Amino acid sequence: MPKYDKMAYASADEMIFGSAKNPVKYGRDFTVGGGYVYPELVPHPRPGTESTKKTLVKEYEKMVTDVLDRCVGIGIPGIQIELEHVYQMTKNPEWGGEIAAATKHLQEDYFRKYGLKSAIRATVADYRKPDEEDIRNSVALENQLKTFETSAAGGADNLSIESVGGKEISDYTIVRQDIRGTLFGIGVLGSLDMEFMWKKIVAIADKYGATPGGDTNCAQANVAMFMAGGFQDRSVPHTFAALTRAIAAARSLVAYEQGAKGPSKDCGYEDVIIKSITGNPISMEGKTCACAHSDLLGNLVGACCDLWSNEAVEYHDMFGGTTVAVFAEILGYDVSLMNTAIELGKAKDLQQMMIHSDKYRDTHGFILCPENAYEIGKAIVANNTSYYARARAAAIKSGELMLGDSKLQISAFEKESLESAMRTLESLPDKEEDFISECTDIYKKLIPGFTLANYGL
Amino acid sequence: MATVANYANIFVRYDLIGSGEAKGVKVSNKDSAMQKVLDCVLEGDSDNIAAAVNEALASKDPMTVINDGLIRGMNEVSRLWDEGEYYLPQAIVASDAMLQGLDICEKKLGKALEKKGTVITHTAEGDIHDLGQKIVNALLRANGYNVVDLGKDVPVDEVVAAVKEHKPVMVTGTALMTTTMTAFERISKRLVKDSNYVPFVCGGGAVSLEYVSGYELGIFGKDASEAPGMANDAVNGLSWSQLREKWNN
Amino acid sequence: MGQTGIALDLGTSGFRGQAIDLERKEIIATVLTARHPLPGANVMDHLNFAIEAGLETAHGVVIETVNQVISTLGIPKEDITRLAVCGNPIQLSLFEGIEIRDLAYAGERKKKLMGIVPPNRDAKKLAASDIDGLFLPPGVGVYIPAAVKHEIGADALAMMAQSGLLENRDIALVTDYGTNAEMALKIGDRIITGSCAAGPALEGQHIEFGMLAAPGAVHDIEAEKVGFRCYVLNQNMISEPGDLVDITAGTVLETGAVGVAGITGTGVISILYEGMAANLIRLPQIKTPQKKIHLGKDVAFSEHDITEAGKAIGAIRAGFITLAAEAGIELEDIKTAYMAGASGTYVNARKALQVGLVPPGAQKVYQVGNTSLAMARDIVLDPEKLWELQDLARALRANHCMFGDSQVFERAYLLELSFWGEGMPWEQYHKFSRMYKLPRLIEPYGEPEIIRLYERDIPDLGCRGVSYIDIVGKPCQVRFDGCTGCGACVEKCPEKALQLLPEQQPTILIRPDRCNGTACKRCEINCPKKVFEFALIPFIS
Ligand code: B12
Ligand code: SF4
Ligand code: SF4
Repeated sequence: MPKYDKMAYASADEMIFGSAKNPVKYGRDFTVGGGYVYPELVPHPRPGTESTKKTLVKEYEKMVTDVLDRCVGIGIPGIQIELEHVYQMTKNPEWGGEIAAATKHLQEDYFRKYGLKSAIRATVADYRKPDEEDIRNSVALENQLKTFETSAAGGADNLSIESVGGKEISDYTIVRQDIRGTLFGIGVLGSLDMEFMWKKIVAIADKYGATPGGDTNCAQANVAMFMAGGFQDRSVPHTFAALTRAIAAARSLVAYEQGAKGPSKDCGYEDVIIKSITGNPISMEGKTCACAHSDLLGNLVGACCDLWSNEAVEYHDMFGGTTVAVFAEILGYDVSLMNTAIELGKAKDLQQMMIHSDKYRDTHGFILCPENAYEIGKAIVANNTSYYARARAAAIKSGELMLGDSKLQISAFEKESLESAMRTLESLPDKEEDFISECTDIYKKLIPGFTLANYGL
Repeated sequence: MATVANYANIFVRYDLIGSGEAKGVKVSNKDSAMQKVLDCVLEGDSDNIAAAVNEALASKDPMTVINDGLIRGMNEVSRLWDEGEYYLPQAIVASDAMLQGLDICEKKLGKALEKKGTVITHTAEGDIHDLGQKIVNALLRANGYNVVDLGKDVPVDEVVAAVKEHKPVMVTGTALMTTTMTAFERISKRLVKDSNYVPFVCGGGAVSLEYVSGYELGIFGKDASEAPGMANDAVNGLSWSQLREKWNN
Repeated sequence: MGQTGIALDLGTSGFRGQAIDLERKEIIATVLTARHPLPGANVMDHLNFAIEAGLETAHGVVIETVNQVISTLGIPKEDITRLAVCGNPIQLSLFEGIEIRDLAYAGERKKKLMGIVPPNRDAKKLAASDIDGLFLPPGVGVYIPAAVKHEIGADALAMMAQSGLLENRDIALVTDYGTNAEMALKIGDRIITGSCAAGPALEGQHIEFGMLAAPGAVHDIEAEKVGFRCYVLNQNMISEPGDLVDITAGTVLETGAVGVAGITGTGVISILYEGMAANLIRLPQIKTPQKKIHLGKDVAFSEHDITEAGKAIGAIRAGFITLAAEAGIELEDIKTAYMAGASGTYVNARKALQVGLVPPGAQKVYQVGNTSLAMARDIVLDPEKLWELQDLARALRANHCMFGDSQVFERAYLLELSFWGEGMPWEQYHKFSRMYKLPRLIEPYGEPEIIRLYERDIPDLGCRGVSYIDIVGKPCQVRFDGCTGCGACVEKCPEKALQLLPEQQPTILIRPDRCNGTACKRCEINCPKKVFEFALIPFIS
């Protein structure tokens, strides 16, 4: 059941990068949302190195060392490193634990020698298969939970996940621009699965004194955003992807209702909306994640971030050093600019620049600029009768915002698709149980393997 | 809160180009008369092209009007069409407007412009379906070719005679009826007999790659938009068999 | 019994005959053939066959089948007094055994060059003995109605005479939704005719999984709560709810009584309509993961099919525009539409209107059924009719619009090609339409009144009912020198028209009625010994 019924901030204007209502302190003297922005660097091992534990641990040691070296080299005050698990690190819980320990060891070294502040996020791979197995009782789940434990024991400060509940539905519906199914898959099933998962993750974090971080709708809303792609792509309308994002906000919020504290996961573009509701710090990525994927809001997403990330960069050599070092440097200078603005009392000005760079570039930036994100947040808390009701409200609000601002230009094709989705959204039943039974009838037929039991229904 | 008056230097909404909401035209000319010429070509405005060209000719020499106005505009139209921002009718009206302008410039110049080459086009003997041919004509002309348009329902003899007379770099044929396409094979035989190995591009709803590959000189034209590229290759000295190799494989 | 008349409709997809008691003016019996006896799937194929195999051969095969139909009707020959036929000019000329080459070539120059003189296609009363091979007493009267122009035949005349168009006082337009797409616009006393040669896509041909109406053919799809229901023709050619399918993926959600084998022309229209309504078709693309509208595992509708259907629909819409321009009216002035031909009768008229196949301003749409047989019947009952129709044909000749010479048609069609093939947006379409000063294409009228004149193609089958001829015409045998009997030809034939007979010397049995003819020739192409020669097949004994 939804919990949040009010906004953490009195207005969008209050929201700014570097500060959150509820800062989080962990790691080696590392505070997130306490006034300044830090980089979060995500290194990715080269293919092949995951074949044995030994080679993978070695790879991580090299990567982490390169990152920490560069921080010291150019004077970055602090950094978070995310261990975004490749499948093997979760499948073999001791691997994840050992890599966390190795990273912690190196970070402690640099903290001792140089005073470089640092923290570790461990993001466990959610490799459950909702259309093939009982996701509340599978080997995969068992391994994932074990890996959370080994990671926390090994020294991870922040426990996160990109959970996949409802993905079997959204995989089908997004490519078909079926908004009803997308709302069902993300807003209802995704939320229910998160409730289940996050109860367990928070318990583990508490047991080890780690911080439960956050979740992201990478598996769904990001899929829609990537498929919508750039200006030349027409496979999924950008307006549709934006609706999906608004729905995702209502869903990713569940982590915090179950006890997560943030900072949130970097690729959850919906996090601005969540910050406006929870006041918890968020990690974001934009132009700096071009190494992993392209988006249309490279500057704007930074407007309220507390950590600034690169999503994932594979370990390779570049002229300027290894990729992880190069990206640490890029992130470092970006946050240094933000922190300079804070020190000069110009943070709001810089924020305005970030916003205006992308607010009207694309629908995604438009709904995620702080003032619109705040409006969507309000729609979510005002409709907290069910996961469904608030996700639907978020979608409708974002649609209204897109249709209501003439400066946001949308092509006829995009507009038609948005209007058609809005008609569907308006026509849906009001009660969650009615919606669930309607959708169950439909998607049981369309999607082999879909079962309500996976969601405790 | 700050507001931005003009986003043009911040980002360009390339996705809106061609949908009537924004323009994808990337060419312009500081001279207002020349700009009018460009606009007329881009808009396919045959009503006003003559006035625009005459106005430009008052201050510019004909070659400049041709190169920087007419041809530049037409190249832009081709680009926009290739990129799916313009549609077929736009390409055709633009080509019409450009040719009208060209006519005026050539008169002023006192001679016809040196063309890239001559192409003979026709619709098969017995066939009246000439839409495909008309598209081919427009595209070839727009690309600087001298097109000898023999029209529709053209007897084999006439095609062969025209080839003798004009010595084209390429001949094209269009046929939409299974009963008429057989004329192509006869044309090919006659040309070969005269040792005239001119590339003969055959297209139209009735003909197929298999059919056209069955006789000498034949190159299958799937889409009218291929015609200018094929002509360019022919001008560059590719033989009919090289053309077939390149375009039909 | 005495005094029996025979009415014959020589259609491109088969012949239909009825025996009529001339005194009691009652239908006695009906016979339908499953196919046309000549190789080929459309009139052009029939023409090609006639040119390649010779007019005599083609005429012979047609008459052989007419004899077959008459004998299946079961009327003693001596009781037959009259025979009336109706059909398009190609079929009627083949029946009569007269020049057909003028129909095979469109260009006048070529015709002149070949010395082709168009024969007289006015109304005629002949004697059975004038028709070579017709197995009827010599004195039996044979009535052949007139053609207006070579592309507007007696069948089109029938469509005007039988639909009610002539009596209608509103501005009305009648269209035959066949390969030639003949149409006639009536404004007061004036009737303007035209033919836009739409091509066979609306009969399911040139469509990847297209087929003529036959068991297993999907002729309509309808959205249900989950998925789309295919409506399929069963063994008796009656529509039945078939599989429930997910059109965005190849899955069957619920198996219906009849399996899905292919798509008819009306099915194509329905798919286009539903696909656009569901936002899954955005011209010229299909927005599903595999870029196809799926009707189960094996049958799908592709983007290429959109282009093909678009060429046909576009030609018809360009035809409407051209006729309106010719008459000096706007499209919205056309308030009544008649839909003729098999596709016109069975199609979901509301969907056809939305897709663009019906004049957009039509508030009343009549689906009139096949009118050819009805006209043949009328003539048999009252031979005077023949001459009335002759007068009508003469009058119409003056007002025939040659779309081939019409700039309006050319321009309107260009816009249609761009619309269907390149996805040109409506704003552009209208902009050009204004620039070209074409009658404005308005939005289709919301809820027109749809009147089906008959539930079935042939309303009255007669007291003895209907019989079907499945083997149409005569199978023939051929032996090729050098044939090894390898069977490659038999195997590659897509229509199962060939059979290898168990004889000493390899002998091949061919069913001309099943064969696809000129457009196919896979038997020839695939013969490893290159001995299979279509031209050597003795089609008549
Ligand atoms: C439009 C049309 C007409 C128009 C023609 C208008 C005109 N000025 O051309 C009208 C209505 C006048 C017409 C008339 C007839 N038509 Co007509 N017509 C069509 C139709 C619907 C579309 C053809 C078309 O224009 N396509 C669009 C053009 C642009 O395509 P295209 O020429 O193939 O060109 C493309 C490519 O092939 C290629 N290409 C072509 N040439 C070249 C050359 C080069 C160098 C290159 C690179 C590429 C290339 O590029 C183009 C694309 O970019 C087709 C049916 C269909 N669905 O296709 C029937 C069709 C062609 N017609 C047909 C017939 C039989 C006729 C008639 C003889 C019918 C009759 N009952 O008498 C009459 C002729 C009467 C007369 N004497 O006037 C038949 C031919 C059948 C056959 N198998 O032979 C068809 C297939 C319809 C059918 N019945 O099945 N027709
Ligand atoms: S393979 Fe030969 S016999 Fe069979 S349909 Fe084709 S042409 Fe006719
Ligand atoms: S493919 Fe040729 S050789 Fe083989 S059976 Fe047929 S005709 Fe004879």
